[in-house]
Amino acid sequence: MAAGSAWAVLCEKFRSAQSLSAVESKKDPETEPYRSKYGARQLLQEIKQLLGPEEAAEAGAAAAELRAVRLAALEYELGVNHTETEELSAGEEHLLKCTRLLEPRRLSRACVSLYIQAQNNLGILWSERDEIKTAQTYLESAEALYNQYMKENGNPPLDPSEHFMEEEEKLTDQERSKRFEKAYTHTLYYLAQVYQHLEMIEKAAQYCHTTLKRQLEYSGYYPVEWALNAATLSQYYLTKQCFMESRHCLAAASVIFSQVGQAPSAEDNEAEQDHQDLQQRKAEIARCWIKYCLNLLQSARKLLEDNIGELDPDRQSELKAQRKKEEDEKEKRRKKAVLFGTSDLCDSVLAMEEKVSCVCPLDFKEAREIFLVGQNYVQEAKEFFQVDGYVTDHIEIVQDHSALFKVLAFFEEDYERRCKMHKRRIDMLEPIYADLNPQYYLLISRQLQFELADTYYEMMDLKVAIGNRLEELDSHTVKKINSLAQLAVKYYELFLDSLRNPDKIFPEKLEDDVLRPAMVAKFHIARLYGKLITSDGKKQLENMQTSLEYYTFLVDYCEKYPDAVHAIETELELSKEMVGLLPTRMERLRAKLCPFT
Amino acid sequence: KFRTQLDNRLDGPWDSREKIVAFSFDYCYWSVDPEDPKYASQEVVFQDLGTSVLSGAFKGYNICLFAYGQTGSGKTYTMMGTPVSYSIHKLFAIFLEIYNERVRDLLKQSDHKKPYTLRVREHPETGPYVQGLSQHLVTDYKQVVGLLEEGIAKRITAATHIHDASSRSHAIFTIHYTQAILENNLPSEIASKINLVDLAGSERADPSYCKDRITEGANINKSLVTLGIVISTLAQNSQMFSSCQSINSITSEGDSSPMSSHTTGSVSGTRRQAYIPYRDSILTWLLKDSLGGNSKTIMVATISPASSSYNETMSTLRYASNAKNIINKPRVNEDANVKLIRELREEIDRLKTMLISFELVCINFFSTGPIVMLSVVAEAELSVLHLDKYMLNVTSSFFEECPCCV
Repeated sequence: MAAGSAWAVLCEKFRSAQSLSAVESKKDPETEPYRSKYGARQLLQEIKQLLGPEEAAEAGAAAAELRAVRLAALEYELGVNHTETEELSAGEEHLLKCTRLLEPRRLSRACVSLYIQAQNNLGILWSERDEIKTAQTYLESAEALYNQYMKENGNPPLDPSEHFMEEEEKLTDQERSKRFEKAYTHTLYYLAQVYQHLEMIEKAAQYCHTTLKRQLEYSGYYPVEWALNAATLSQYYLTKQCFMESRHCLAAASVIFSQVGQAPSAEDNEAEQDHQDLQQRKAEIARCWIKYCLNLLQSARKLLEDNIGELDPDRQSELKAQRKKEEDEKEKRRKKAVLFGTSDLCDSVLAMEEKVSCVCPLDFKEAREIFLVGQNYVQEAKEFFQVDGYVTDHIEIVQDHSALFKVLAFFEEDYERRCKMHKRRIDMLEPIYADLNPQYYLLISRQLQFELADTYYEMMDLKVAIGNRLEELDSHTVKKINSLAQLAVKYYELFLDSLRNPDKIFPEKLEDDVLRPAMVAKFHIARLYGKLITSDGKKQLENMQTSLEYYTFLVDYCEKYPDAVHAIETELELSKEMVGLLPTRMERLRAKLCPFT
Repeated sequence: KFRTQLDNRLDGPWDSREKIVAFSFDYCYWSVDPEDPKYASQEVVFQDLGTSVLSGAFKGYNICLFAYGQTGSGKTYTMMGTPVSYSIHKLFAIFLEIYNERVRDLLKQSDHKKPYTLRVREHPETGPYVQGLSQHLVTDYKQVVGLLEEGIAKRITAATHIHDASSRSHAIFTIHYTQAILENNLPSEIASKINLVDLAGSERADPSYCKDRITEGANINKSLVTLGIVISTLAQNSQMFSSCQSINSITSEGDSSPMSSHTTGSVSGTRRQAYIPYRDSILTWLLKDSLGGNSKTIMVATISPASSSYNETMSTLRYASNAKNIINKPRVNEDANVKLIRELREEIDRLKTMLISFELVCINFFSTGPIVMLSVVAEAELSVLHLDKYMLNVTSSFFEECPCCV
């Protein structure tokens, strides 16, 4: 009986140590941040003493076995304790002792979990020493051990804490399995970080994905956080053009997020803040959806465009034929690898996915469907990210909205309707631009100036194309073309003005960061003056003169600062040509204007 | 601007190997021993940096002065030493602290339990601001220093309540400066801001948008709490940059965008744009347009000459050296350019042919007088408009007169 009660004392001590380390330590004063951890360490060392020296193992292999495992569990706890109190070397020593003791029996039900957790901690320890490769070795070996164990045995293994528990307290198999899986989830999560540090990006993403997946399976997650993480991962897939995976993450994010109960009525300040946060998360997921729609459309555009950015009908029919054949099967196979969740969750996710395609749209009808989904999310995101309070976010959303219209216009065959889409862009961008103080939002201001200028340019081009189709170019269309060109010039000029210093002087030498945008703006203005239509010869001469001045600016600037050449080679080459040709043309025009002088 | 080589040769028990690492900075000061002939006093530092701060603010630039370095290496001293000695028009000051992505007012008595409750918001006209932050009108240098001292005192006392807060928090002291001027005989205002930023330790102090350094500090964490950071870093780093730059997407220089390798005109690559729902730090948010753009940014990195501080010194210098690249860049959308360039090439070719044929015409039909010349010129002019029908209508009369040109 004495042995029994002695064991009970040990178990009690162990429990106290764990509670000190996990619970009490959070309340430690700042002046003694590790007080409870040191207390726990003290207890653990006492237990080690009480276990007695190794050689003293009295009788029987079974007893020796038991003792070794208990000792290993203690070494593990001590190792973690030292690591947490910033004593890495001592921590490493204890953890190594633990793995050494367990080595021969690491695949047993009693030891596998402990061994994996010791290796996890060695992984952390080495990463803190910036030895990522060593960390990787430990973690990958933990991963391999898990797989081997599950293949060969698979029974829920003992949790490390059970080595100091009385028989009647031992955990259920269900709980054991849960804890074991959790330890393994941590292995994968650490590996994700290791791969990221080693710049093995794809592998890192794969491990993040698996971590998320396992969080769902073992219910170890906060819905809002999980949803946000899944939505973020979707953005990674976007950049890799994996639209199926991206959509799956987003659909799962939306489904999981919808499970979050609405915060109780916003009475006190805190509830109000929680409510706000929740709304923000919702809007953020919506923004991820917007990017999804936008990128999908832009990808399609890239596939379909010819060398001047127009829809290529040959390409279109080619892709349509191709799509019929392969897409379906390929997708199904890929999908298996990434599927989130249990069966009931799966259904909701699938239902969510069905609302938007994940293959590139190949005609206007398909593009429009994706556009509309994106536009809905624009509205949803704007509900939270209002101009007042969230200027940057709000404008970014509007810019995305504009980009959605822009890419939709690519699919539209009718020039008039296409022009109207660009007009919609103008209508949304111009008012926010007008309200924006460039002193605080200089960069966004500049983006808007450029985008507005480009959009007007685009509209002018369309009007010219429409004009070309007419029997006769009427004065109304000419007027329209000219006014659009002038508006484009206006916004390019506004951009150039933004480069002026507070004394309103244009910089002698442009900073590297604005060199190319500034030169492109000058170049576009030069071109625009060349495109203005007038029947008045004198006016035409003036326009040509202005155009010449802008082209000359580029040429002169590059002569003065040869460093600038590399940034605008093509533009410079063309400008030089124009600077050579325009004066002759103007000469001729002058001759025409007064032919007899 | 001059370049300074910093010679980090160290000996002693720390590391007996000889190490020389060179960094280039605009200025370099030695302010350890006042007896030293190379000693740089506060006045010297002020002459070099302070005066440009003030004249910039006077002109209407936003100014941002960062101090970064090991605790005890003199950040606060550098900040405090900046005298405000110019004539005052209308000034008010704010002083705030950011800790754990939360903001509190350093110039107002706050709730002790929850001091960091202020939210950052943005207004289209007045820019990013902290909601509910107290503003203090100041009329002279003494008052400014008074406020600075008050806030710093508050930071220090708070440090005993919040574990390690002062070394992990940023403090921003901002002076709003408004001058009334006459522009075109109309009363107008020039508003500018001077931000003095006391940065925290490296792990939280990244004013760049560069995510990988944030996780460097976070390193491998013991729980899944940071999974979000890991994933967002992933998404951030994988944003693809092609040779096509876009002004629609402004990125920091910290990323690996190939600014130097664009093949202009002939590309139509797109940049994958993702949205990362993890916000960049409050610090960057608040100082958004004080970094780059129409503002002047000065970074003061303070280091200690002690060999025991070698690691900190190196990391500070490395950080400061990286900070030179933290400027937001506008990028140009090339969509429109591609079309324009192709069109312009065509025009140039056409113009050249026209001018050559004009010369031919001149030789062959010189005797027919100016009418012929006119017709050729007209053709050249109009073809440029790309309005084929228009051209046809207008020029048809000329063609009738001069069939040789068809």
